[in-house]
Amino acid sequence: MKRITTSTLAALTILLFGQCGKDKNESVDTTYPEINITAADAFPKQCSVIKRGETIVFRAQLSDNVQLGSVSVDIHHNFDHHTHSTEVENCNLEPVKTPQSPFLMIKSFPIPAGLKTYQTAIEIPVPANVDAGDYHFMIRLTDKEGWQTIKGLSIKII
Amino acid sequence: MWAIGLPVCSYTPVAIQALFLMRSFYVFVFCLLGFCRVDAQGVRLSGKVVNHAQRPLSGVIITLSGTAATGITDTQGDFSFTGLPAGDYELVTALPGYRQHHVSVKIKTADVYLNIRLSPLRRQLQEVVVADNHVQERKATAPLNTEIVTPDFIQRHLGGSLMKTLERLPGIKTIGIGSGQSKPLIRGLGFNRVVVLDKGVKHEGQQWGADHGLELDQFAAGDIELIKGAASFMYGSDAIGGAIDVKPPPPPPLHTFGGSVDLIGKTNNNLYGTSFRLYGRKQHWFFDTRFTYQNYGDYRVPTDTVYVYDYAVNLHHRQLRNTAGRETGLHLNTGYLGEKFRSVFYVSNTFSKSGFFANAHGLEPRRVDEALHDASSRDIQLPSQQVNHFKLINRSSYVWNHHQLEMELGYQRNFRQEFSHYVNHGYMPPVYPDTMKIPHDLEREFDKQVYSANFRDRITTGKHVITLGINGEYQHNIINGWTFLVPAFDQKTAGAFGYDQYQLNEHVLLFGAVRYDYGQLQLFRYSDWFPSKTSSGEQQYLVRAADLNRTFHSLVWSAGMNYNREKFNLKANAGKSFRMPIAKELGANGVNYHYFSYERGDPGLSPEQSYQADLSVGWTEKKWSVQLSPFYNYFPNYIYLNPTADHDYYYGAGNQVFQYAQSSVMRYGGEVQLKYRFSEKFRTEWLGEYLYARQLSGDKKGYTLPFSPPASALINLTWTPATGKLFRDTYWSVDYRITAHQHHIVPPEKKTPGYQVVNMQAGTKVHLSRQPVLVSLQVQNLFNTRYLNHTSFYRLIELPEAGRNIILSIKVPFFFQRDSQPGVAPGSN
Repeated sequence: MKRITTSTLAALTILLFGQCGKDKNESVDTTYPEINITAADAFPKQCSVIKRGETIVFRAQLSDNVQLGSVSVDIHHNFDHHTHSTEVENCNLEPVKTPQSPFLMIKSFPIPAGLKTYQTAIEIPVPANVDAGDYHFMIRLTDKEGWQTIKGLSIKII
Repeated sequence: MWAIGLPVCSYTPVAIQALFLMRSFYVFVFCLLGFCRVDAQGVRLSGKVVNHAQRPLSGVIITLSGTAATGITDTQGDFSFTGLPAGDYELVTALPGYRQHHVSVKIKTADVYLNIRLSPLRRQLQEVVVADNHVQERKATAPLNTEIVTPDFIQRHLGGSLMKTLERLPGIKTIGIGSGQSKPLIRGLGFNRVVVLDKGVKHEGQQWGADHGLELDQFAAGDIELIKGAASFMYGSDAIGGAIDVKPPPPPPLHTFGGSVDLIGKTNNNLYGTSFRLYGRKQHWFFDTRFTYQNYGDYRVPTDTVYVYDYAVNLHHRQLRNTAGRETGLHLNTGYLGEKFRSVFYVSNTFSKSGFFANAHGLEPRRVDEALHDASSRDIQLPSQQVNHFKLINRSSYVWNHHQLEMELGYQRNFRQEFSHYVNHGYMPPVYPDTMKIPHDLEREFDKQVYSANFRDRITTGKHVITLGINGEYQHNIINGWTFLVPAFDQKTAGAFGYDQYQLNEHVLLFGAVRYDYGQLQLFRYSDWFPSKTSSGEQQYLVRAADLNRTFHSLVWSAGMNYNREKFNLKANAGKSFRMPIAKELGANGVNYHYFSYERGDPGLSPEQSYQADLSVGWTEKKWSVQLSPFYNYFPNYIYLNPTADHDYYYGAGNQVFQYAQSSVMRYGGEVQLKYRFSEKFRTEWLGEYLYARQLSGDKKGYTLPFSPPASALINLTWTPATGKLFRDTYWSVDYRITAHQHHIVPPEKKTPGYQVVNMQAGTKVHLSRQPVLVSLQVQNLFNTRYLNHTSFYRLIELPEAGRNIILSIKVPFFFQRDSQPGVAPGSN
């Protein structure tokens, strides 16, 4: 019983008065990575137009304050207008239509370890026989800690 | 911020110290249970309690100072204590509406019989002093840090849901979506880490989901007990963070037939609602029925535009598009209340349907037909959710000598559906195939059936009150819909516990408990209904969940003491709790497209364990009181969903991998409550809470836990003027809540700025007839402040909280027949 009382008191003292320096939590990374498509040669941008049968090059400047993780690209149709891009600018959408054989491409790309910035140059062939129309070009970027930034761009395939 | 921030070491010596403490308490618990020899040699103390008209009074709480014994008078007003050792005792009575009665009793060798007459409180003189002290009594004898809320509190602070109403209490927060759905967070722990008991049976819904509410009708609740801290030893797995015990309203008084009508209106979401109650009781038989209906429109926020990512969404009349809803609740309680035997059936069905904010589904921005949505603020379009919860519970008890046997049997079915337009994500076909059996708008469906049984024996003997009990539960869960999150599963759990409360002396009450649990979880295979493209370019129907069978065992314990002096009280408690991994944590393997996440369970997770030390210290003077409740908590293997750096394009359709993982976690914090009475009419109350959590290992070492509420304080000022005979119990009250910023975040959270919000409450009881009409008025967010709530579901897409809301609620009791004794209306005390 005495031992319990002593332990309890010790724990209480630590709880109430134990001052052990400043909060160490501040040192963890709380910054999201960035996807920059403002450069002149960046592609695609909001409302970009892509031709069927051609190969495009996905160019974006990826950066993080500590270390980049991986990047994933997802191109899917938006013929039904159900989802929206994450961007300010509103592209002129074609009327709603039923997809026949829409283009779908999902691919993830690892980023070499230890990088703070990375310039993508990923070739994406667009088949000639896919439906033309409104599409989304989704970029998902993570950093090493698991923060994710998403950019959903509205593009057109003609 | 504030005086609530308790500076505590954040390195491991504390954990070691805590573990050391645990071991000592193990020894202590066994000692305590070990020397509980049942002593049947003592003397019997019995008696009868009557009112001024010599009618027996039932439900009188009798406590014997110097012992842990408490009793309740039966319908004949009789009570008895057996096995009392010789000595001096003081017997105290407690019954709402009556004066407390003290009797000194000297027990030698002969049995003692007492006749006690209680006199009613003269209400005119006693307005300010709340006569009812069952709350204080219960708090003084409860082993853990306990808050008790009465239906009066609910009437005063009525929120969008029962949990939202409870959010005013220090240490309690909610995770909410929209204006009608929220689930509790106790000291930062929520979901499956908090048990909600309804009429003695564990409420089982879809606790794991942030966008799901809790299917309880706040008008049908009696007293509510909130246990802050690990309570697995009482309630089993899941009570690792705390428990909320929602009690049924007390049965109606003898020989009555009456009811009440509640009318509610809210300006923010144009809610209107009513709750109608009808009850009656003869001598032993009673019935109590209730019907509740609420209908609300889209709720309003103090802004014209919200930004879902960078895309600006214009809000029509500042309304969050498609957040309207409806709710109904049907209740029937009926049963037999005898002297020794009581058996009550509770049947209830709650139904709700509500919309999700149309411009975003989860975190995903959605394009919407604004003309369609803005045509009416009350319609519910897609996306939406609908849930029906049916419950049948029997509660029986039997008093036999110094045994009180209690039993609860329950069946419940939770049927939840989420509806959305079909949008092909990942490898789903672009057009929903017409060959599918699943309706095209049924995104998810969860159908849960639960059978529960609890048995307890409360044995009062000498200075010991020993409770022995067993619990069992069987769950059958099936799923439907065109998306997959959690596999179908069956779950069996069983537990046995022993709990001893020992009155060491007049001031010290000791507690000790041990509990053993067994659990079995069986997950069923699920494969996609559509093919995905594999790395070799093939098309394959992916198996998302394989058949899985896991069993779990756990031994937990708790020990503590209460020390009560006239002005000083101290409660200390330490214990170990556990939680079984849930189906989602073991078996998730699917894309949550609305969160851009691919969630992957870990079939090998071990049961979560938690060690907690709790303290509560209070001092009460005539004019003021203070209460400080710090806690320390250590988890060697906390289960959390870890957002990794990877994307998975095969199973995850290109989404970020969120992997269930375990890490050691320490948490500490506490609450402070200060009360000061300036005069008979003015009083103030200061409530504060602080929480700190930190992961000590794993991928997110150094980070906090998700949904950690920021520090906050609430300053209340209440004025209770004397307003004559017609208006009584009048109050004017203002709550000023200051919430600090939350910069301790973990992916995928965002830092949330601090904010200040003012709420007002006013109310009175209008004595037009013998039964007063209760009128309560509330203004929430008085200054229409725009702020973000860190624990809100919509925080990640920056949706502000609801703007100003004026709530009017009126309760009109009525009687067709009543007893002559001046009682208080049941349920309103």
